[in-house]
Amino acid sequence: MSVRKTAFLALFTTLSLAIFAVESAIPPLVPIPGIKLGLANVVTLILLRHFRARDAFFVLISRILLSAFLFGQALSLLYSLAGGLLSLCVMAVVMRVLRKKALFLTGAMGGLTHNLGQLAMALAITRTGGVLAYLPFLILSGILTGLFTGLCAGFAEKPLAPFLSDIP
Amino acid sequence: MKENLSWRKPAAIITAFLLLLSIASLLYLLIGKSGTDYVADIFQDGILIKSVYLNDLSETGTFIIEGESGCVNEVEVRPGCIAIISADCPDKLCVHQGFISDSRLPITCLPNRLVIRLRPVSDSAASDSMESIGALDAVTY
Repeated sequence: MSVRKTAFLALFTTLSLAIFAVESAIPPLVPIPGIKLGLANVVTLILLRHFRARDAFFVLISRILLSAFLFGQALSLLYSLAGGLLSLCVMAVVMRVLRKKALFLTGAMGGLTHNLGQLAMALAITRTGGVLAYLPFLILSGILTGLFTGLCAGFAEKPLAPFLSDIP
Repeated sequence: MKENLSWRKPAAIITAFLLLLSIASLLYLLIGKSGTDYVADIFQDGILIKSVYLNDLSETGTFIIEGESGCVNEVEVRPGCIAIISADCPDKLCVHQGFISDSRLPITCLPNRLVIRLRPVSDSAASDSMESIGALDAVTY
């Protein structure tokens, strides 16, 4: 990995951490754990499109660990990991199938699977089938917020593209 | 040329999949049962620790639920509805949810592993299936 690329990925990690911090300062709009915009996913989407899945994975893991150390608790780390890793895997596959087109669809699949991963973790932690009642809410919010972050990523990457294509 | 357009078919499939899933979720949420009597089942760590017949109540009552790790949730019951009115969890999402009076959305306090769910009085099958899911998880772990 070139120095240039390492520096670039570090920059993107910082960027996603900042987005994450700003977003967590916004009070939750709905009283359902796990429903939020997930803007940090914009960074993951851009990285997946321009670099390898491995690079997006490094940035995602760094962001999750750093945010847990800085402002989280052990439990929120588990939820972030479950949602983040599942959605990363699915987005990497969808991105390849769609030949990097229609970023908003990749985003929607990512949002959906992120919420499903978190729900699976909630099921494992609370061991109560009752949390499954959140499933329809989480499906809807995952798809909608995913579409939004996907569109954001599409708009954000246009001005970034010349810089991104310079990096080996 | 074929190479360039080969993403369209999977894109259509994914769009159809997401649309179907959204419509199914919306329908499920819109067709909620109402106008029945409810029992509030309170689960901690997946174990049913208390059931309250909400429609038998004549006045407001409160009680405190403590967890193994010392976490505390204060629950208030009124005729027909139930809420967590104070908690020592960091985000207080459970408190902000307020009173619930139907079975669509349970109150969940994830940090304290507490779930309050309303179950229609006549509907014992629902609680059976829920307990079997809980038991399945216990087996998996």
